[in-house]
Amino acid sequence: MSRTLVGWTASITALALVAACGGGGGDAGDGKVKLSIGVFSDFGYTNLIKEYQAAHPGIEIEQRTVKMEQHHTQLATQLAGGRGAADIVAIEEGNITQFRQSKDKFVNLADYGAKELQGQWAAWKWNQGTTDGGNFVLGLGTDMGSLALCYRRDLFEAAGLPTDREEVGKLWPTWEDYLEVADAFSGKVPDKKFVDTAQNVYKAILDQTEEGYFAKADDSFIGDKNDKVKQAFTLAASLGEKKQTGALAPFSQDWNVALKQASFATTTCPAWALALIKAGAGDEATGKWDVAAAPGGGGNWGGSFLAVPKQTKHPKEAYELAKWLTAPEQQKRIFKETGNLPSEPAAYQDPEVTATTNEYFNSAPVGQIFGDSAESLKPTYRGTKDSKVTPVFNNALSRVETGKQSTSDAFDQAVREARDAAK
Amino acid sequence: MTVAPHRATAGRGTEPVPPSAQRLSWRDKLGRLDTKYTPYLIIAPFFVVFGIFGLYPLLYTAWVSLHEWQLIEGDQGFTGLANYAELLSDENFWNALGNTVSLFLLSTVPQLFAALGLAALLDRGLRGRAFWRAGVLLPNVISVAAVALVFAQLFGRDFGIVNAVLGLVGVDPVDWRAETWASHLAISSMVMWRWTGYNALIYLAAMQSVPKDMYESAMLDGASRWRVFWSITVPSIRPTILFTVIVSTIGGMQLFVEPQLFDPGGTATGTGGDDRQFQTLVMYLYEKGFRLFDAGYSAAIAWVLFLVILVVAVVNFAVARRIAAKG
Repeated sequence: MSRTLVGWTASITALALVAACGGGGGDAGDGKVKLSIGVFSDFGYTNLIKEYQAAHPGIEIEQRTVKMEQHHTQLATQLAGGRGAADIVAIEEGNITQFRQSKDKFVNLADYGAKELQGQWAAWKWNQGTTDGGNFVLGLGTDMGSLALCYRRDLFEAAGLPTDREEVGKLWPTWEDYLEVADAFSGKVPDKKFVDTAQNVYKAILDQTEEGYFAKADDSFIGDKNDKVKQAFTLAASLGEKKQTGALAPFSQDWNVALKQASFATTTCPAWALALIKAGAGDEATGKWDVAAAPGGGGNWGGSFLAVPKQTKHPKEAYELAKWLTAPEQQKRIFKETGNLPSEPAAYQDPEVTATTNEYFNSAPVGQIFGDSAESLKPTYRGTKDSKVTPVFNNALSRVETGKQSTSDAFDQAVREARDAAK
Repeated sequence: MTVAPHRATAGRGTEPVPPSAQRLSWRDKLGRLDTKYTPYLIIAPFFVVFGIFGLYPLLYTAWVSLHEWQLIEGDQGFTGLANYAELLSDENFWNALGNTVSLFLLSTVPQLFAALGLAALLDRGLRGRAFWRAGVLLPNVISVAAVALVFAQLFGRDFGIVNAVLGLVGVDPVDWRAETWASHLAISSMVMWRWTGYNALIYLAAMQSVPKDMYESAMLDGASRWRVFWSITVPSIRPTILFTVIVSTIGGMQLFVEPQLFDPGGTATGTGGDDRQFQTLVMYLYEKGFRLFDAGYSAAIAWVLFLVILVVAVVNFAVARRIAAKG
C-alpha cells in the first residue's frame, strides 16, 4: 500500500535511474584509483581489502554489501541502465547462468590473462565461470558450497540410530538408504520430522546427476524427458507424502524457529549453511548438531564468482584485485575467518584447512568432510534458464508436502510450467 | 500581481478608447501575460517533476510493453500487442488479478468501516484524547518490514500465537501460508492493522467540521446515537469517504509489500505461495520483470494494472457516492 501508482508503473525504468544514482567507480581527486566491490552476505573481504590498500597506495577500495536476492536484482538493473554497478561484482552460482546470457555487459577476463589462472580451481568451478567454450572468462571463483548432511545427535539417539558421524555416514551410501533411515526414525520418534524440507533433498539428489533440466549438448530443456529429474523428484516427494519433512521454506523465519525447537533431525548442509544452523539453533544446541557425509557421494551447492562489469573505468585494476582476492592464499584466510570453503585444491587440500574442526558441530572435522565431498563430486550441468525452472519444481514439492497434490500431479504441473518458463 | 494598464497615447488624441480595440504597448502585453500565465508558471515545477518521474516512465513503460524486452539486454524487437494478447490468456495473470481483488475487498471494506467506527469514538470526549489519536496512527508509522516479521510469527504454522489461541478453543492448527483463504485473511489483517488508524484520523478530521448544532437538534428530536451517526455524521463527511475509498482502491490494487514479505520463499521465487495462492498483480509483475527478466511482459502487466485501477476507482466512486448519499 505504500507505493504510489506512479511509482509502480514507473518502476522498471525508474529503478534503473535510481540505481544509476549510486554512481560508478570514479576517480578520487587525489589521483587515486577508486574501486568498488559489490558483495552479499559475508565474503570475508574486510580485512583483506585493508591489506590490499596498504600494499597498493594508489588504490582505494569501497565494499558494498546488500542481501543476496536484492544484490542480483540490483545488478541486473545496473547492467540494464549502463551505470551504477560496482567495479567488481559477486555473482552466486545459481544466478550466474542468467548473467552468462548477458556476457557482453561484462569484461572478458581472458583479455587480462585470466586463462593462466585456470589451474588454480577445481575444473568444474572454473567452467561454471566461463562461457563460449571456455573462451570468455566471466568470473573468477570465490568459495564453493560442497555438500554434507547435518544431523542432530540427540534425536538420532532417541530413535536408536548411531550417533557417531562415521557410522551415520555409512547408514546412507545412497538416497534410497536415506529414505529407509527416515522410515526407521519416524517409527521411533513420530513427533519429530526427519528432515526440514523436501526441496533441499531434491536439489542435493539432482545436483549429483550429470544433467538436470537442460541438455549439456545444446542447452535445450529436457526436464520433461530426463528420468533423473523424475527420480529425484519422486524420491524427495515420498518424504513429503509420508509427512517426514517439516514442509519448511529453506532458511526462512519458520525454518529458524524449527531449528530452535529441534523439530527436525537432518538437513542438507553446504559449508556456508553451518553458520545459518548455528545462528538458528542457538548456543544451547552446542554439540547437538554434527556433520556426516551426504548420500550419493559428494556434491556442490552454492559458491560465488567475482566478475567485472564492462561499465567500469578500471578493468585492469579491478581484474588485479579480483585475482588477488580469489588466490588460494586469500581463500585459505577467508575460510579461517568465515568458514566459506575454498574452491581451489591448493587451498582446500592444505593441511591448515583439512585440519579445521568446528566446535559447535561436536568438533566435526569440517575441513576434511567438505574437502572430500568436493573431491568426489560429479558436477551437474546448469542450463541458462536453470534459475527460472528451479522454483517451479520447488513449489511442486511444497504442494506435495502440504498435502495439496499427489506426487504425480505435482510433477506433471511442474513440468508444464517449466516448459513455459524455459521457452 | 496586476499591473495597471498604461494606454498608448500615440496618434489618436486623448479620447479613451476601449483597450481591446487598441494596440497594446509591450508593458500592457507583459501585464496581461503576467496575470494570465504566472499561476501556471508557479505550479509548473510540479508538472515538470511529474513529467520526468511520472509521465515519462509511464509512456516509456507503454513503449517497452510493445516489445520483446529483456531486462538487461533491452529491446529484442517490436511485437505490437503480443504481450497483451499473451497476458489475456495467461492463467497466472487472472489468478493474480483474482487474488488482488480478493485481498483488496477483504482488507479495505472492513478497514473503512472500522475506521469510521474508530473515528466516531475518537470524536467523542475521551479522556487523554491526544494520546488515543496519536495511538491509532502508530501502526502506520512502524516499518512495514517489522510488521511483516511480527505477523509472520503470529501466523506461524507450528509455533504461531494465532494457532495456539485457536488450539485453546479446539480448532486444528491452520497452515496460514498454504491455504488460499487463510493466507488472504492473514495478509488482510496485516493491511488492516497498518491502515485502519490512518483512515480513522482522516475521518476524524472531517467529523470535527460537522456543525455541532445539527447533532444537538437531532438529539432534541430524540434520535439515537446510532441514528445520528448514520443520518448526520456519515452524509456530512461524504467527500472524505469518497476520497479514502479512492485512495484505498489505488493502494489495495497495488498491494505488494505485505504479501511479498509474508511469502516464505521471498523474492527468490516471488510466486506468492507454492500454488500462487496469494500472488498479487504487482508480485506477478515483479516476478516476471525482476526474477525472469521479461521486462516487456512486466511492462504490459503494469499497464493493465493501471487500467484496472482506473476502472475499479470509477466503479468505487459511483458505488460509494450512492451509499454515502443514502439517509
